[in-house]
Amino acid sequence: MAARQDDGVLTVGRSRIGTIFANTGGVLFALVMIFPVYWVLNTAFKPRDEVMSFEPYFLPAHPTLDNFVSAIKAENFLSGLVNGLIITGLAVAAALVVGFLAALAIARFNFYGRRAIIMIILCVQLVPLLALLIPLFLMLQGWELTNSLIGVALVYLVLLLPYTVWTLRGFIAGIPKELDEAAMIDGCTRPQVFWRIILPLTGPGLVATAVYGFIQAWNEFIIINTLNSPAKQNLMAWLLQNQTERGTAWGPLMAGAIITSLPVVIFFLLIQRNIATGLTAGAVKG
Amino acid sequence: MRHGKYPFIIGFLVVPLALYLVFVVGAYLQMFQLSLTDWSGFGGFNYIGVDNFVKLWDDPVFWVALRHNIYILIAMPIVTIAFALFFAFLLNVGGKSRGGVTQGVWGSKVYRVIFFFPQLLALAIVAVIFGRVFGSDRSGMLNGLFPDSWSPWLFLADERWALACIGIVLVWQQIGFYVVLFSAGMGSIGQEIYEAAALDGATKVTLFFRITLPLLWDTLQVAWVYLGIAAFDCFALVNIMSVNKGGPDNATQVLSYQIYLNAFQNSQAGYASAIGVVLFFLTLTFAALTLRVTRRDAVNA
Repeated sequence: MAARQDDGVLTVGRSRIGTIFANTGGVLFALVMIFPVYWVLNTAFKPRDEVMSFEPYFLPAHPTLDNFVSAIKAENFLSGLVNGLIITGLAVAAALVVGFLAALAIARFNFYGRRAIIMIILCVQLVPLLALLIPLFLMLQGWELTNSLIGVALVYLVLLLPYTVWTLRGFIAGIPKELDEAAMIDGCTRPQVFWRIILPLTGPGLVATAVYGFIQAWNEFIIINTLNSPAKQNLMAWLLQNQTERGTAWGPLMAGAIITSLPVVIFFLLIQRNIATGLTAGAVKG
Repeated sequence: MRHGKYPFIIGFLVVPLALYLVFVVGAYLQMFQLSLTDWSGFGGFNYIGVDNFVKLWDDPVFWVALRHNIYILIAMPIVTIAFALFFAFLLNVGGKSRGGVTQGVWGSKVYRVIFFFPQLLALAIVAVIFGRVFGSDRSGMLNGLFPDSWSPWLFLADERWALACIGIVLVWQQIGFYVVLFSAGMGSIGQEIYEAAALDGATKVTLFFRITLPLLWDTLQVAWVYLGIAAFDCFALVNIMSVNKGGPDNATQVLSYQIYLNAFQNSQAGYASAIGVVLFFLTLTFAALTLRVTRRDAVNA
């Protein structure tokens, strides 16, 4: 309980036991969190007989890249990779452009209906995706956009927009309006203010939003599974297809899972420092 | 300001609003329309009034699914937030106090990355992996830890535990994000506040309940809304992990999966749309209640 003096350093009572407890808890929790990731890696590098064995191998006895080779050679894997990149790229790029402009309008102008638009953005985030699957399918079918990469990218754009607008709005609102005014006094037109002042200052926000959008679109599989045939699907759909069809080929499946997760992990490591800021910006700047 | 602002506003908002009108409003209107029909998913349909909703009312599977949704809606956010708060606290203030400054446990920067990892694995991958973790024979990871004589736990094949297994995966998948979120929130609480409280002789427990929790309240509310949404939409895990399509014996049935099954497997798209309408109003009610109860004044920029 009592704070005490200890070599001139103030410590909180029972700190030693507390520290041991805290560290043990942290390590245990980290193990639980990381175990599945370890298992994926372990399985992916094991030869087939070690995967199938009941004998637990905590590390591959004979590490091999065979699983990766057979994953890449598997049907629809490479097409899934390319499809995923195209769809995600289109959706994220479009969401950033459309979202940035919309966020500008909401953050920088006061106008009739602004509150309504903000409410709409918040509500769209609440929409349960599955409820919209049937009408979306019908709509895209009507425009002959089922089994097409454009159709899926369009749906992803709609799904990414609310988060994009909301987060960017937070970032833009954080830029002092005085900057705009100063620039305009110096002779900038309004579009120049947006282009030369707000856009560069929103840079970190754009990166964070793009990464988050990438993860969302890259990992999506319900919509693409429903709208498109296997040749036009992404790697997530490929994984599920192979899980049900081949049941026990865990080695190649996990190798495929690693390749599938790689872009996301790389992006994450690149912006790791800023991720908490990016994720919370929309929430905190309420 | 001086120049006309409306050209900008209209120009900037016309695309997102058009997308919203077509893909969200339009889609919902169509769903409402279809919920009044006997459409199978192919060909034509007839309007049958509210027959689908009458059928829904009498459908025991619907009520089971709804009950499971409510269980998850209550339990999952509480468990996730409790664990995430605890670990965020450990990471930020759980360690030694040095010069009156409380620190996180040793290696807290590493933990922060580790905790975020599940967030990076796609839900599809997570579901496939946990299907293996909860394997119901000795090839399952958990059962494999025990000797041969062990009679294996059934996990997902046991109707008493199947939903709990899926709940555990939901929590596992979500928790890292909230540890990071709460850590960010705790990081913004001034050190001098902790310092002052520690000087007054406050224990770690007191610090948590008297300082951290009240100051994090806003962040907690945001977390609650996000978790609620995730709870309504646990389609992916049920779809991949459940035994026998939401089984065994509908033990893991949820509303979103009912929509999917009826629309794309049972050729009852009209009926599925009716469930969609119910889910829509449930989500809306949840959102309205949460926004009202938490009274987060998000609308004022």
